[in-house]
Amino acid sequence: MTLFQYLALLVVVGLLVLTLSAMVRGWATRKEGITWSLVWLLATIAIVNPDLTGTVARRLGIGRGADLLLYCAVVVMLIGFLMIYVRLRRLRRELTLLVRHMAIMEAGSSESK
Amino acid sequence: MTDTATSNDAGLPDDVRESTFIVMPAFNEAICIEEVVRDVRREYPNVVVIDDGSTDATFDVARRCTPHAVRHAVNRGQGAALQTGIDFALARGARFIVTFDSDGQHRVEDIAAMLAPIVRGDCDITLGSRFLDGSSEIPRSRRFTLRLAVLFTRIVSRVTLTDTHNGFRAFSRKAAMKIEITIDRMAHASELIDQVHHSGLPYREVPVQVRYTDYSLQKGQSSRGAIQIAINYILARVLP
Repeated sequence: MTLFQYLALLVVVGLLVLTLSAMVRGWATRKEGITWSLVWLLATIAIVNPDLTGTVARRLGIGRGADLLLYCAVVVMLIGFLMIYVRLRRLRRELTLLVRHMAIMEAGSSESK
Repeated sequence: MTDTATSNDAGLPDDVRESTFIVMPAFNEAICIEEVVRDVRREYPNVVVIDDGSTDATFDVARRCTPHAVRHAVNRGQGAALQTGIDFALARGARFIVTFDSDGQHRVEDIAAMLAPIVRGDCDITLGSRFLDGSSEIPRSRRFTLRLAVLFTRIVSRVTLTDTHNGFRAFSRKAAMKIEITIDRMAHASELIDQVHHSGLPYREVPVQVRYTDYSLQKGQSSRGAIQIAINYILARVLP
């Protein structure tokens, strides 16, 4: 294994420990914890055995393993952006409903004075 | 679709005027809102001003000139403010609800014309149009953008109107209860048209005059803003 592999492994294992401790302490839901743990596990496999990604890439008709990882990363990021955007919209909607409720309550109490 | 009868001077019965709520969203309008509210209140006592989290004295001014001053704690956009005003008016027992711009663009005289077909029972919703008669002097740049908006509505919502982005609208209580604006910012105008169209309630356009002043032009939407609004509306329609 090269120095880079050791470093990458260290980072990924650190992330796995953080994820598991977050799940145990209830900061993350069980579903989130398991999903992220799986991601780190896959990353560990790819780091320890770099030829594996190359094999998978060639099967899919992509030349190199690094390209496969890049494409996957782009797709995952785009999905992530969309999910955050949808969540942001829901949050804005909830904020509006809250602000409306407060406005009408406040107006009601000042009118009755 | 158009109401050609000039019922402005006919005058509405007192009980109609008193049970009509004029809903006015306002964002940083402290300079001119007092005059607009006072003008309207001479004919229609129930004016609801929704201060949409202004950073100027809009709320204090509004509270001085109408008993119905409502304040959004943070700015949520014109669509959100309109819905707050409609909810407030319905809770106070409004029989008719009129939405009216707070920047002095609309004329108080036109409110009666907007209400008349609803009071007569001809329809439940009236939408103001500055294009039905030639009385409004519309700046060339605005005319072009508004025409594009009409075309956009015809294609996307499949509704044919002459003026799709006019803040002057009137609703019966029944119609107002069916309206629920969920788009907070400016794209609410298109959403409102969709809801009016799908409510199944009869609606029509009524000619109104829109006065363009330096102030209203500066506060209004630019053509570039219009593209942003169109994008927001499409996103709101396709995303959950």
